[in-house]
Amino acid sequence: MQHEATDLPMISVRGMSKLFGEFVALDRVDFDVSRGEKIVVLGPSGSGKSTLIRTLNRIEPHDIGTLNINGKLINEKTDPIQLRCMVGMVFQNYNLFPHLSVLENCILAPMRVKHMSRAEATALARRYLEQVGIPDQADKYPIQLSGGQQQRVAIARALCMQPQVMLFDEPTAALDPEAIVGVVSIMDELAEQGITTVCVTHEMAFSRRIADRIIFMDQGKIVEITPPETFFTTPQTDRAQNFLNQMLRY
Amino acid sequence: MISSFSLSPLMRCFRSVAALAGILVATAGLHGLALAEQAPSFVQNGVLTICTNPTLPPMTFVKGQDVSHPEGFDIDVAQALANRWRARLSVITMDFTGLFPSLSAQRCGLVMSGIIRTPAREKSFDAVTYQDTALVVVGRKGTPSLTSMDELAGKSIAVESGTSYITRLGLINDTLVAAGKPPMIIQQYPTEEQVVQQVLIGRVFAFVSQDVELFFRMRQLGDKLHVLITPDIPDYHHFAIYLRPNAADQTQLQSAISALETDGTLPALRSKWSVTDQSTKNGAANATSSSMFDWNAFFSALTSTAFLHGALITLSVALISHIIAITISVPIAIVLNSPQKSVLKIALEGYVSLFRAAPTLLQLLFIWNAVPQFFPIFREQWFTPFLATILALSVNESAYQVEINRAALSAVDPGQELGASALGLSRRDIYWRVIFPQAFRIALPPTINEFINLLKITSLASVISLQELLAVTQIQVARTFAFTEYYAAALVYYLVMVFFFLFLQKRVERRFAWSDRKKVVSNAA
Repeated sequence: MQHEATDLPMISVRGMSKLFGEFVALDRVDFDVSRGEKIVVLGPSGSGKSTLIRTLNRIEPHDIGTLNINGKLINEKTDPIQLRCMVGMVFQNYNLFPHLSVLENCILAPMRVKHMSRAEATALARRYLEQVGIPDQADKYPIQLSGGQQQRVAIARALCMQPQVMLFDEPTAALDPEAIVGVVSIMDELAEQGITTVCVTHEMAFSRRIADRIIFMDQGKIVEITPPETFFTTPQTDRAQNFLNQMLRY
Repeated sequence: MISSFSLSPLMRCFRSVAALAGILVATAGLHGLALAEQAPSFVQNGVLTICTNPTLPPMTFVKGQDVSHPEGFDIDVAQALANRWRARLSVITMDFTGLFPSLSAQRCGLVMSGIIRTPAREKSFDAVTYQDTALVVVGRKGTPSLTSMDELAGKSIAVESGTSYITRLGLINDTLVAAGKPPMIIQQYPTEEQVVQQVLIGRVFAFVSQDVELFFRMRQLGDKLHVLITPDIPDYHHFAIYLRPNAADQTQLQSAISALETDGTLPALRSKWSVTDQSTKNGAANATSSSMFDWNAFFSALTSTAFLHGALITLSVALISHIIAITISVPIAIVLNSPQKSVLKIALEGYVSLFRAAPTLLQLLFIWNAVPQFFPIFREQWFTPFLATILALSVNESAYQVEINRAALSAVDPGQELGASALGLSRRDIYWRVIFPQAFRIALPPTINEFINLLKITSLASVISLQELLAVTQIQVARTFAFTEYYAAALVYYLVMVFFFLFLQKRVERRFAWSDRKKVVSNAA
């Protein structure tokens, strides 16, 4: 039954729209993401970047169009729990559970959703905490950690579900410059490991370094999809050119 | 009559034996009647249920520690009637103001509580006289006697609320005002012993009561009281048993009373309870000592089973009601917090507003006295004051708790739900593992506050005859007149219960170290 469909795109989006009442947040969006590909979504505020990324794990269900992940059609009939085992997500504000320790944050979903034993989940969590560079913080509560450390926990927590796709929704937007360096280096490392990644960010250097392709959005539409070299040197549209000018000015 | 004033202990002993013998003879005579009388319709399933407010000695009062078993002339008369009709006697005790509503709601067949026969009451109920009496105005010792009720103009008078004295004094006030004199200032108190206490402590000039009670009080209080005047008011000559209007029942009750009078039962009971004995010597209970705090009375109250039982009822009513309230209120709060509009939401909003708006006391009275008129199931035996109080308080409390829960749930960052669902957690896990633990911390202090409030609000349930801590206290005070000591004992019970829950709150809060950076650091240190 299961196709070993490595040639199929990991994510395939066709004519996808999302409405908030009258407001068109996403306007007939089309794109594919290959297995292991790193996509960075850029665009001015309110252009629909976050909405786009949230439709990919149906935290914001789309209204029109089709979404395929790993060859599966994703719609209202899809079991959201299965989908989210496949697609992990990291938020701007970390959204760690403050009443649970770092370790408990990491093992909650593996135990409750994937029914791992505590020992199994703990071993996994310790491995990922090691990977994000905070193995010694496992027994602390989130409130005791710095912003950068909290975001690392959030990344480890998402990785503990061993997803095939990772979504990052402006993961460094709430961090100070020093912390940004740490988190970005972890994301670099993840990128090297070949996990399919879709990331909304304003980190230009990071985007340029890791992105296989840039999706540039404006007013709910995808304006262009280009490799980073092309995007940062010779953007194909005036809107992208304006955006880059503004970003570089600051 | 006068000769019996100074009875020796031996004589008194003899007299009670004689009285007892009289009763035995009477009961034997009853059993001698071969054919059992057809019981009146208010005797249901072989049970004669009477409602009484046991704070009017010697008619109906609590003599010992056991609050659930009032004694007195009325209770014995009720027993004699029950024997006559081959029925079992069941006595429901409650506040005076609850008596007639309970009779209407068919919670009892008869009201027997030393109540005066008045035309006003006979408009709604049938009455049968069983004892002569007279209205008396009583003041402290040393107050000069009065020659006419007019001399009470401008004076303050204490009466028990719900009694017919209030209307009667109102009429006298009308004539006083018409004559250009200042009216009496009438103060109403829920229990008779509080009425008496107002005179003893000198707050009011006099109180109005019946002679039978006064005789008892005089024996109890020694010579602290003094009859100022015994006005001849025609309406106030008889105590009556009240029943729901029913001519056949009334006739039957009337003939039963007459029979008990002729066969000597009633006279024997009168002498047993000294209903007409004007002796003021030999305190029936321990004569209250001086104004000093009586530590013995305090400790005996504190360690009495009556108080412990009352406190347990208070505690269990509050605990059970609050647990039910919290269980109901959490789903309501979740629905009300959801952004979608729905009929359910509007209905629940109505529920919350209604029960937050209506006074708790009114809700208790409504459930106990009004609802049974529409749903007879609520006047059956299983629907006890305990259950009724829990029903009323849990519904009432759930409305308040909904607001606490709503605030607590809204205070949890919406990102928590987002983060949890992105991890694939089920709705159930999102609530139970992520949102509730955080909301719980926020809701805990106001919830404990509500609980403490609820613990104290249970005292309202004395109006529907729940024998909680304060009701027990009142009844015991009526027996002993040890106001300070018994109130202090009740206070100790309330304080112990409240402090225990405050302590519990502190212990639980200590487990919320995760919420406060400083706490975590200090714990780690």
